[in-house]
Amino acid sequence: MARSEVSDVDVFWRAPGLRRERLYGYYFIAPAVLLLVAIIVFPLGHAFSTSLYRIRGLRSSFVGFDNYAKVLADDAFWHSLGVSLTFTSICVVLHLVIGLGLALLLNRVRAFKTVLRIAFLTPWMVAPAISAIIWVWLLEPQFGVINYLLREAGLITTYQAWLGIPNLALGSVIAVDVWRGVPFIMLLMLAGLQGIPKEQYEAASLDGAGSLQQFRHVTLPNLRYLIIVASTLDLIYTIRHFDIIAVMTGGGPVDSTEVLPVLLYNTAFHGNRFGEAATIGVLLLILVLAFSAIYIRLLKPGSATEGA
Amino acid sequence: MRTTLTLLAGALMGATGLTAAAQEPVTLQWQTANLTEEQFQPIMEQLLAEFQEANPNIRIEPIPVARKDHWTKFVTAAQAREAPCIVSVQVPTAAYNGYLMPLDEFYRGEPEAWQNAWSDEVLAAAQFEDELYGLPSWGGIYGEVYNSDLVEKAGLDANDPPKNWNEYLEWAKALTTEEQWATVVIGGPTDTTTRILLTWIWSNGGEAFNEDMTEATFASDPKSLEAIKFYLALATEEGVAAPGATTINYLEQTNLFAQQKIATMRNAYWGVAKVVIDNPALEGNVFVTAPPAQVENAPTVATLTADSISSNCEHPEEAWEFVKFSNEPKWALLRAQVANWMPLRNDLAELPEVQADPMLKEFLEIGRTARTYPLPHPAWAEISQDDVVKAVQEALLEPERTDEIFQKLDKDVTAKLNDY
Repeated sequence: MARSEVSDVDVFWRAPGLRRERLYGYYFIAPAVLLLVAIIVFPLGHAFSTSLYRIRGLRSSFVGFDNYAKVLADDAFWHSLGVSLTFTSICVVLHLVIGLGLALLLNRVRAFKTVLRIAFLTPWMVAPAISAIIWVWLLEPQFGVINYLLREAGLITTYQAWLGIPNLALGSVIAVDVWRGVPFIMLLMLAGLQGIPKEQYEAASLDGAGSLQQFRHVTLPNLRYLIIVASTLDLIYTIRHFDIIAVMTGGGPVDSTEVLPVLLYNTAFHGNRFGEAATIGVLLLILVLAFSAIYIRLLKPGSATEGA
Repeated sequence: MRTTLTLLAGALMGATGLTAAAQEPVTLQWQTANLTEEQFQPIMEQLLAEFQEANPNIRIEPIPVARKDHWTKFVTAAQAREAPCIVSVQVPTAAYNGYLMPLDEFYRGEPEAWQNAWSDEVLAAAQFEDELYGLPSWGGIYGEVYNSDLVEKAGLDANDPPKNWNEYLEWAKALTTEEQWATVVIGGPTDTTTRILLTWIWSNGGEAFNEDMTEATFASDPKSLEAIKFYLALATEEGVAAPGATTINYLEQTNLFAQQKIATMRNAYWGVAKVVIDNPALEGNVFVTAPPAQVENAPTVATLTADSISSNCEHPEEAWEFVKFSNEPKWALLRAQVANWMPLRNDLAELPEVQADPMLKEFLEIGRTARTYPLPHPAWAEISQDDVVKAVQEALLEPERTDEIFQKLDKDVTAKLNDY
């Protein structure tokens, strides 16, 4: 057989041991890579290519980066980015503070431990769209239970349109997201708390440290790495948030809750501007990738932030 | 011998295949915003059963989808060239986008008497760039619907309903109590907000757009701006409208009316069917009048729903068969009687069944001066669902800025109207 006729298979089987093993590895991961290409790389590539076209229904024309210039010059995009950052930062901080508080509480509780854990996890287990619909009815201005309870308690005198006034609407969707997002952080923190050696608390106690000092000098340093990772993950998740806001307010009133994913949806399906919607998607992806880069850096072995 | 057997087998297989192909029914999907609505269920079931019986080779598969997801689902499917064959969507926007098939050839292929059942004006509302993209099926004429009991309780005379804005405001004040409001101002995120706003603008002789739809005139037409201010003031100044206007859509409006929390609603005939289903005690206890107006023969909104065929439909002839069947007088009449959807055929108005229904008759009377909706522009879906809604919401929240808000709306919408 001439040298040029040697097949790839022959090359593979004649390869030295280590090289052959490496090639084996490529073959083994090939199905996963193909799957990822099909479900992630191809759609991303398609979205990027869509962002280079002016699309009206089934008609399209290549416009290069015009959509990027248009979107970046549009006040609606910057307003939406502002809403996204406000929504995300408040939600992430509240998830963390309340989640850590509940984890500390659950870590100390002796009775009904399992029941309480399941109870606290329930909001996280309900599908976001379903919980959003439930909250829409709870917050309904004329018939809603929230208004009824507040009125009965004498806390309000007139019906509040919780989802009808910009600040209240933003506050309401943040509250619902916090209600839904806290359990996940709580679960992570609880796992972290249970991994802290008891000896550290005993030693601190012997040194005369009170509860607050133990929290500050033992608990927090041990959870530091987990807190950073959980917050970064939460940030990446929350900034992409769509379902709760889409169901509860659709971005309104007057765009007060129009986070970037909702702006993207409204641009595509209400505005019929798929090219611009894809552009918003690509810009959102860049934002998420920036946070993901931080996350990957934090996960690197030997990262300075590693604590627990 | 072997050759003969092969030929025989081939012939048999071919014949079987032909028979199977001949018997294999064509399946067509059908999607409208209303298939999940309770008042339409009995008609839909009967319609499908009878069509199936008459056309055993065509099977219709309804696609149930919630009203608010209807357009999104359709567009997503249309972009993938997988849209249901038979659809009812906003004609100008869908036709402009290439999602629909022109129907002129089918329509003109029908007998003239059949074609004449639709007036030119009604057909025009289902046309885009002079081509017909839908067969007008049913509509909704917007009137002012009152709860008779609440009107009587307030000491008002149902036989002398408000004819102009001042009378309407007097009634509204009388109908507002500790327990209830007179009405709602609709400012929620659907195009119902725009429909109702247009009825008010037109009731004052105002115009929201110029004739060729190249310019928005919400603020630049003084009559239009005056109407907008009067209407929104019902919620912001007069206190006669239920709170939370920026979240109120058709659903909230009809819920409030059914629960007798409001005494009057600007709605179409189907709204009456909905409130009676929600609260059977209202049966026979509602009446309708023309919306109060400041000018003679003021038009109201008459929404038009047309049955269209998607551009990707592989069996348009069969789809047209269904479109024709579902628009026969029998079904148009049933839709009117059971679901309260107004017939658009002009050969039904004089039928005894229509004449025997006083409310249907009244709606048809109100509709004599109505203008068709949606307005004929491909950007209409966005303008009606987003731009106008946002302006109404802003003006409800900051009434002192109403002029400025609607001036900006004129500017933004005019730009959109000319970007196509």
